[in-house]
Amino acid sequence: MTKVYEDPPERVTALKDISFHVNEGEFLCIVGPSGCGKSTLLRMIAGLDHPSSGQIRFRGDLLTAPHSKISMVFQSFALLPWRTVVQNVEFGLEIQGKPKKEREAVAMRLLEMVGLRGSENLYPKQLSGGMKQRVGIARALATDPEVVLMDEAFSAIDEFTAEALREEVSEIHKETKKTFLLVTHNLPEAIELADRILVLSSRPAKVKSIVGVDLERPRTSTDSEFITIHKDIFGLLQAELENSIMRHRLSELQEFKKLRDMEER
Amino acid sequence: MHDNTRRKIVLPSWALALIVIFAVWEAISVSGIVPSSQLPPLHQVLLALVQLAGSPFFLSHVGQSLANVTAGVSIALVLVLPLALLVGLRSQFDQALTPIIMLVGALPDLAILTLLVTVIGKGNVAAVTISAFSAFFPIYFTVRQGVKDIPVDYFHVASVFKAGRIQTFTKMVMPSISPSLLTGLRLSFEFSWNVLLAVEIIASVAGIGSFISNSLGGTAHSLTYGLAAILTVGMITIGMDRAFFGRFENRMKRWH
Repeated sequence: MTKVYEDPPERVTALKDISFHVNEGEFLCIVGPSGCGKSTLLRMIAGLDHPSSGQIRFRGDLLTAPHSKISMVFQSFALLPWRTVVQNVEFGLEIQGKPKKEREAVAMRLLEMVGLRGSENLYPKQLSGGMKQRVGIARALATDPEVVLMDEAFSAIDEFTAEALREEVSEIHKETKKTFLLVTHNLPEAIELADRILVLSSRPAKVKSIVGVDLERPRTSTDSEFITIHKDIFGLLQAELENSIMRHRLSELQEFKKLRDMEER
Repeated sequence: MHDNTRRKIVLPSWALALIVIFAVWEAISVSGIVPSSQLPPLHQVLLALVQLAGSPFFLSHVGQSLANVTAGVSIALVLVLPLALLVGLRSQFDQALTPIIMLVGALPDLAILTLLVTVIGKGNVAAVTISAFSAFFPIYFTVRQGVKDIPVDYFHVASVFKAGRIQTFTKMVMPSISPSLLTGLRLSFEFSWNVLLAVEIIASVAGIGSFISNSLGGTAHSLTYGLAAILTVGMITIGMDRAFFGRFENRMKRWH
């Protein structure tokens, strides 16, 4: 699959000959240098954007539009501010025309699961970032999808809250056996959650490597195997970035520095 | 311990200011600094106000004005809402239409009214048309901006959950723009109401404007009644704004 953006006279190839397979029930994380097009990739799987060539298949069916079994969690939370917490969670079911009783029952069960019981009648503006994303996750689960797409879902939340939320998502993954796809620039986050990590190269993005993470859960970033995997993938990304630098791309030089700083921390 | 027995009555500062202004008005007029033929004392104006409030003749004029402005704003809303949504959602239409609409909006309402009266003649049609004309632009620009300000992720949410066009419109676009729409309607009502008095006089239709203009041309106490009618206009403006728009605004404040 390839994605080319054309805004004449500009022509940018965002993704080039990307091909990979997602196993049912797995937690796949997609990492790559920033701006490499990993969010574009996720949006295409969500049916919000179309590949320029190639195809995306879900259970053998060609994906050309959003699929009712594929749901999404957004970096910006994207809660509808005029709806209360429970009404936001019910959104997908309401679109499907499910009766109110059923919607409410599903929403309340999910709110219980994400620890928001008692906050169901609050409006999004009354919630913290972490709480908002809990609502976002509950909303994504409400339509009982088989695949949950998460686009930098923890990136707009403070680190402590994000850590707690990651643990919960890991738990939800274990319990529901749904397939999760998380796009992230946070390598430790990917290693903590993923069964496999898809490493993309810098623009135009290709699949650089697919790394299996076969560590027991819950995972700790101080674990020696964790550190080994981190080093390996970081090496891949660094090589990728050094390539870019040789191509004199200043923006990615900055990104490289950022990643190096993160490594040192 | 807190002393509950002594309750202080605190007037809002605007009420205090109003009392002072009214006192000065009354004093100036009664003392004769300004002759009462040019500035009737406040108590007479208030008395006239009470009389007017009980006068079916006056009330029918008020009703006529309100009906005209409501009709004008409603017509503007029906015409402008689809247009503002279209240009908000599709930038090629925005680029084609908005400059023209800005140009038309810059034309003075009253000049257009005069033209309109010479073309279609005096009467309620002219009054309602000009009322709709002046209500058009605030709705257009606020709703257009409101649509443009909808975060793109809201559209993604609607798409991911497979909302159709109509559902996207009713469950996402309309609630998103409701605060801008309210602001637009509020401004429209104000604009429309402000030109209406002049409209009524130029188009010679019944309403508060013609009532004021008639009473000012009349006899000894005409100024008193004119002032009372003008005060009524002010009170109606504030009253409508509070009672109607204020209520929606309060409801929106819960989430907005």
